[in-house]
This record gives sequence, structure tokens and C-alpha cells, in this order.
Amino acid sequence: MDCRDVKTIALDRLAGEADEASRRELSAHLAGCENCRREMGRLEDLWTVLGTDPDATVTPEFRERSLELIEEEFLRRRVREFRPRTRSVRPFLQAAAMLAAGAVGYLIARGLPSSSTASPTPVAGSAPRAIATPSAGIARASNTGSAVLDLASNPRFSNVSYRPADPDGRVGIEFDVTTRQTVVGRPEEPEVARLLAYLLSRNAETAGEKSRAIALVSEHYGTGSATASPEIVAALSATLRKDPNPGVRKKAADALASFAITPEIRTVFLAALVSDKNPAVRLVAVDALAAAAKQSPDAATIASLREKAVDPQENGFVRAKAASALKAISF
Amino acid sequence: MESKGSDDLELLERIRRGDTGGAGELFERYAPALLRFTDRMLSDRASAEEVTQEVFVKVISRAHQYDGRAGVASWLFAIAANACRDRRRRDRRAMVVPLEAVAEPRARGEGIESTIASRQRRQAVRQALSELSDEQREALVLARYHGMPYAEIAETLGISVGAVKTRIFRAVETLKAHFSEGESWTAAT
Repeated sequence: MDCRDVKTIALDRLAGEADEASRRELSAHLAGCENCRREMGRLEDLWTVLGTDPDATVTPEFRERSLELIEEEFLRRRVREFRPRTRSVRPFLQAAAMLAAGAVGYLIARGLPSSSTASPTPVAGSAPRAIATPSAGIARASNTGSAVLDLASNPRFSNVSYRPADPDGRVGIEFDVTTRQTVVGRPEEPEVARLLAYLLSRNAETAGEKSRAIALVSEHYGTGSATASPEIVAALSATLRKDPNPGVRKKAADALASFAITPEIRTVFLAALVSDKNPAVRLVAVDALAAAAKQSPDAATIASLREKAVDPQENGFVRAKAASALKAISF
Repeated sequence: MESKGSDDLELLERIRRGDTGGAGELFERYAPALLRFTDRMLSDRASAEEVTQEVFVKVISRAHQYDGRAGVASWLFAIAANACRDRRRRDRRAMVVPLEAVAEPRARGEGIESTIASRQRRQAVRQALSELSDEQREALVLARYHGMPYAEIAETLGISVGAVKTRIFRAVETLKAHFSEGESWTAAT
């Protein structure tokens, strides 16, 4: 071994990679070479200094957030993707709508009653991109004489209840008939946007349902290619303000952050930064506000970020994020 | 690195089947090491946490792509190394965020003096590490802080053992030069 090999073998030794023979050879060389002993000492010192850097540790908050994220990811992957039909399908849909309308007209002209079990028809002939199956979600029969119910189509009944016979001997059977509806359209179309907002704000009863609705909204509006409708923004804003589930609030915040920031969205984020209990939501608010302030700095945002950056009660990550966000904003 | 080969494969299989618990167990097992790695690669606690989470999200979506050629630990570190490179490319701010702004949460019962000393050490070492290229830093961090054998580092980074040794050698040379320029060796201790 000569002096040129010492550094390499010394490093191998420090990294635990030197075999017994190399270690012995190195020791023998060092015993007789003052320069290499000094070099070895320097390497050992450096290795020791590097070891004094404290390790990052997994905090309970990070663990909790991560496990929540993992669960959300699994949930997201179970949700069937919403894929608007491509433009090439539209002519066929239009043709089908016209054909169905023609068939109904023909039957009426022939004086035949149109069946209640007719095949799905478009909601509006003028809007062929948004199609729905017929009948509202609930049909109520109040009189056996007038109720038209086709049991051959195996309708699904729910909320069934029975009334005992009245003085005339007539029994009552009450139920809802639910039918599955399919609405297909681009998210920016008013009908689809209104439906999504409705699902988000009123119809989603569980956190999972809300998360799925938000994921759908954010996936299609958050690309920057489409402008989110006011109904969607209002529904997400209300979710961010009021939803008791932090995971759902964070998803709503993520979705809003992906839109172009309007004064309304900015106001919601400022409120979230001040009062949301979850630091992950506040972090999203900091990011969104900082991004907006970079484009057009406003006094309220800068004041809020400043407060957060020095607030000793605030979570360390939020504080640091606010501080670094302020640095990036040119006043 | 501690080998948990068959257990890891079982966890990946559970993840493939859509079992959230499997991913949770994999997180408990590897998140501490991956967070240490990403924290040293990015020198920014918040980014390190995000990238560590990203690794697990990627594992969920790519579990079916794992072909068993590398160990699961190597596979996870490879994903983490790529994610760190992407993050550094995308967000150069991570390199200039002052360390004091993202200090490690203080351990319970840790005194102020020891906290300050710990932060100074951290700053000195991180400053030195930040002078290394991504490639040199990856190899050095895996060898020094994770005790990974050269062969496993090579597997993780997709390079030869010789290249691993070269990267570590050059990293050490750079660090020696850094510490000998103005800062004493003991400044960080």
C-alpha cells in the first residue's frame, strides 16, 4: 500500500466496508507514515463532525397527517374516475336524442299512450351534452287506480311502509322508487356545475362522500383550463369554513388553492389562517395566500402572514412557512 | 440497513390489495429513516415531510410495479432520492430557507443551551452538506447516516459500487475543504 491508497481505504474503514486484510495493511502503513496518520485523523474528525448533526424525528402531528393522507390516497384510488365523454361522442348522442324524440312524437301522433318505462331520454334536446335518465328520483303512488308502475322493470323500492285497511277495505303501501341517474357533461357546464355544488354542499353526508366530490371538482377545475363556477367556489368555501372534519376541510382548501384566487377565495383563506384548528389547513392557506400576494400583494394578506410568522403560539411549520412566504413577496 | 425482506414483501402485497393497514405499517417501519434522509437532502423540514409523504403515496400507486430486483428498503430510498431531486429542481427555495426558521421541534425536557448548541451543530453540518452535489450528498448521507453498505447504495442509486466510492470520496474532499476554509473542525462540535 502506498500513500495514494490510504484515503480510499481509510474511507472504506470509516464506512465499515474495509475487510480485515485492508484494515491490517492500513494500520501497518499508518504506523510508519506521519503524513498519512494526520490525514487519517482529519478524516476521522470529519466523520465524527458529520455524526453530530441531529436526526429529524417523526413527530406525532406528522405521523397523524401522513396516515390520514395514506387513507385518503386509498380512498381516492377506489373512486371511479369521472371522465366526460369526448367530443367525438356528441354527434351520436345528438342523433340518439333526435331519434328518441321522433319515436315519442310518432307514438303520440298514432294516439298510443307512451309507456312510463320508455328508454332514457335526454333532459333537453338543446343540451345534448348533459343527458339524464327519465323520472325524478322519487315516484309516489297515492291511488292504485292511477298509479302506473311497471314491476317488470324490477324497480328498487325504499322507505316502504304499510297502512292498515281503511273503512272501505283499502290498504296503503307507500314507498319511494329510486332510479339511477347518469349525468354526463363537462364540469364547466352550468348543469354539471350546479349538480356538483349541490352534491358537495347538501347531499354528501359522510366525509368520504364529500372527499370524493371535492376530488372530482378539484381534478377538473384545478387544472387552470376551466374557470370554476361561483356555485362550486361557494360550496367549497362553505366546506372550508364549516366542515367539522379536518381532512375534508384540507381537501376543500387544496381545491380552492388550485383555482385562480378571487377576493372571495382570499377572504376564506384569511379566515382559515386565523381560525382553522388544523395546522395542515393553515399551511395550505399560507401557500395560497402567498401565491396570490406574489401576483398582487395586499395589505390584509401581508399583515396576516406577518402575524403568523411571529406568533409564538402558532405551529412551527406554519410559522416557518409564513416567514418564508413573506420573503418571497416583493412589497 | 436492517433487513426485513419477507415482511416488507408481505406489506407490499397488502398494499397492492388495497389494505390501508399495510401502508400504515410500512410507514411506521420506514418513515423515520426516510424522513432523516429527505431532511438531510433538502435541508428543510417542511419539504422533507412533504417528500416523505409523497414517497408513501407513490408506493401505494406503484406497489404493483415493484419487481423484487432491489430490496424494498432500496426501492423506497430510490423513490425518495428521485423525489428529493425533483423537489430541489422544482423549488430552489428549499436551499435558501434559513435553518433556524425550520428548526427541529425541541424534544421534551431539552434545555435551551443544548438546543442552541444542537442548532449550531445542525447549521454547520447542513451548510457543509449543501455544498455537495445531489449525487455526492445522496451517497454520503446513505453511507454515513444510514449505514448502508456500498452495494446497497449502488442498488438504490442505480450506479456501480465504484461510482458510489467515487462520489463519497469526492464528497469528503469537498467537506474537508469547506471545514478548513475559515471554520475550525471543532466549530460544529
